[in-house]
Amino acid sequence: MAAYRRSNIEYDSRSGGFFTKKHKGRPPAQAEGSRSKWKKNDASNTRSRFDADVLWSETSSQSRSRSVPFIKRHERPGYTKGKPYSHPARASKKGGVKKKFVRVTVYNHPNYDESRLLNTLQKASRVPFTPLEWQYYGTRVHFFVDDPIAVEALKDASKTLKARDNIKVVVFTPTPPQPFDAMKDEDIEHFKNCMQKRYDRSQMAMDLKALRSDPDLVANHVDLILNRQSNMIAMLNIIEDNVPELLSLNLSSNKLFKLDDMSPIEIKARKLKILNLSNNLLRSERELDKIRSLKLEELWLEGNPLCQIFRDKSLYISAIRERFPKLLRLDGEELPPPISFGLEGPTELPPCKGSYFENDEAKTLVLQFLQRYYSYYDGEDRQGLLNVYHEEACCSLYLSTAARQQNVEHSTWGYYRRSRNIRTIKDLAKLLKLLKHKRLNIVGFLNELPRTQHNLNSFVVDLSFQTSSLLCFVVHGVFKEVSKSSRNIVRAFSRTFIAVPDSEVGLLLLNDELFIRNALHDEIKSALSTPAPTPSGSPGHHDMVQAFILFSGMNSDWSQACLQENDWDLDKASQIFLNLKAEGKIPDVAFIK
Amino acid sequence: MASSDFRMDVDLACRAAEEFVTLYYETIDKRRRQLIKLYMDTATLVWNGNAISGQAPLIEFFEMLPSSEFQVNMFDCQPVHEQATQGQKTVLVVAHGTVKFEGNKQHYFNQNFLLTLHATPSNSVWKIASDCFRFQDWAM
Repeated sequence: MAAYRRSNIEYDSRSGGFFTKKHKGRPPAQAEGSRSKWKKNDASNTRSRFDADVLWSETSSQSRSRSVPFIKRHERPGYTKGKPYSHPARASKKGGVKKKFVRVTVYNHPNYDESRLLNTLQKASRVPFTPLEWQYYGTRVHFFVDDPIAVEALKDASKTLKARDNIKVVVFTPTPPQPFDAMKDEDIEHFKNCMQKRYDRSQMAMDLKALRSDPDLVANHVDLILNRQSNMIAMLNIIEDNVPELLSLNLSSNKLFKLDDMSPIEIKARKLKILNLSNNLLRSERELDKIRSLKLEELWLEGNPLCQIFRDKSLYISAIRERFPKLLRLDGEELPPPISFGLEGPTELPPCKGSYFENDEAKTLVLQFLQRYYSYYDGEDRQGLLNVYHEEACCSLYLSTAARQQNVEHSTWGYYRRSRNIRTIKDLAKLLKLLKHKRLNIVGFLNELPRTQHNLNSFVVDLSFQTSSLLCFVVHGVFKEVSKSSRNIVRAFSRTFIAVPDSEVGLLLLNDELFIRNALHDEIKSALSTPAPTPSGSPGHHDMVQAFILFSGMNSDWSQACLQENDWDLDKASQIFLNLKAEGKIPDVAFIK
Repeated sequence: MASSDFRMDVDLACRAAEEFVTLYYETIDKRRRQLIKLYMDTATLVWNGNAISGQAPLIEFFEMLPSSEFQVNMFDCQPVHEQATQGQKTVLVVAHGTVKFEGNKQHYFNQNFLLTLHATPSNSVWKIASDCFRFQDWAM
């Protein structure tokens, strides 16, 4: 568990030099993908503290505890005579030796009381046992046992207990989690400095030959072994964050015998063309399958056991080229030109951009609408929304699978049973029921959903379609659930609206399609850092703010902030506003009134 | 109780959406060159904030987009009321899933389409009038 905690601490790139790109707050030295990280966190959070702290740290020393089970009971450390309910964690600390605790759940006979149950269990077990952390809930009891013999005895007794006393005993055998060795922050920092030292900027080449004997790392007692998952992942992350342009990587003489953890290199170092793996311990060319998505032009493998397994050189070359078809040089020798038909597809995606609006007029219309919509939606009562839906409007919501899985813990089943996914629901009657039709039904439906607080600063809006009679736009953003039971859960949403222009209220909604998912780590951070409204200045300033609102078209918060930052100099503020506006640097939210 | 007209619209929308989602993502993955046939001549695509409009620019865009593997986890649809569409049958389709573009990491995405029904004397076809696509983690 300790290893997990540590690995969640973010490391930043404080040292200057060529490592100037700011770290984006992604956790380091972790399994790939933030999703898996969340899952792990959630899984560990839901365990009891005791469970997590002891069981997780326990498994690595399983073999140790297994070697001592035959000491007599009363001599074993942690055994507390006459104190059956002592805390196991405390007991283990006292003894100084880590123990393996096994959780037992018992479904009690309806007529047995606590002491009768305990008596029955003790009698049925062929060895006496000490139930630790005994928790009695009437029909259900939880406790822990730290004696492997007693665990076996309880397992054996469970059949008799079931048949004779109608008591069900479930012994929970934990599956050993993957041992995970996280790197310490300071070690990562040393590693980064070492990589910085070994990087040749002019060649875009990183020389990590014989890393373990690097004098600086040795001096700092950092033992780097690239066969370790954490070390390899740290290396890849440092490359991604600091030298994504990397062209050449030398990993020779690092005793590498597996490349499993290296597979993310495809996306961490997209430009990599030259890779030196010579003088390692790779036994099979199949090991290279894990990095075959690299578009390598030059590869060094000499001095690896795998080079010896081929009868002749042409077989060797063909086996390697099968994995890297675009290879030009192998172990320093030119290869015959690769076969090409000129069909290679592009791999660059167009750059992602923020909100899209066809014109400013539509932008104002939509942003004003959203401002109004969410002021009703985030209110205590959503009745006000009656004014923004068309009489014949439709509304439905659907939920991402991941969000659904975590929903149970987050106690908002509310969304789940309303989720309309045509992929899984085929029954027209049910589909009709989940699609809310007519204004009154919709507002009633929305009123049942948890209370929310939307962060308008997080909104990204795409106006995807516009005619004189219709606007279709999509809003992406985050919101907090503010009901008492949900403890400020942050969620992300994408909501598609179709609206018709209305002379009285601006826009009337015809369609509302809401998609909800769990927020990503970065989204949660941004949601929690909503700027607080600034207090108003002196009365004289009030008029100035009003004038500036008229001049700039921005809302009062932003107008006031602009004036404040320019020491209430109207001319200066106006000039700066015009400059920033010309550069397109003022966010949309500034104009929402 | 829903009126029978509305029921029919919902039924039609669901059937169109179901066939469309299968067809669209199969075509973009495997027969990219055919994809343009699903779009109207005047269709608009807003792809992660980039707007592309009209047949020729769309063809060019899809050509330079790396090859893809889409996986749609969920989708939904709603009929769009005729007041907004001048009587033309229109369906809103929304989809969520994952996509891996060649040489890029996997992304979650949200996409929505407006499909319109174009009837000719001999047959009627659904076409995409608008398409809006965004990665869930586009800003990261």
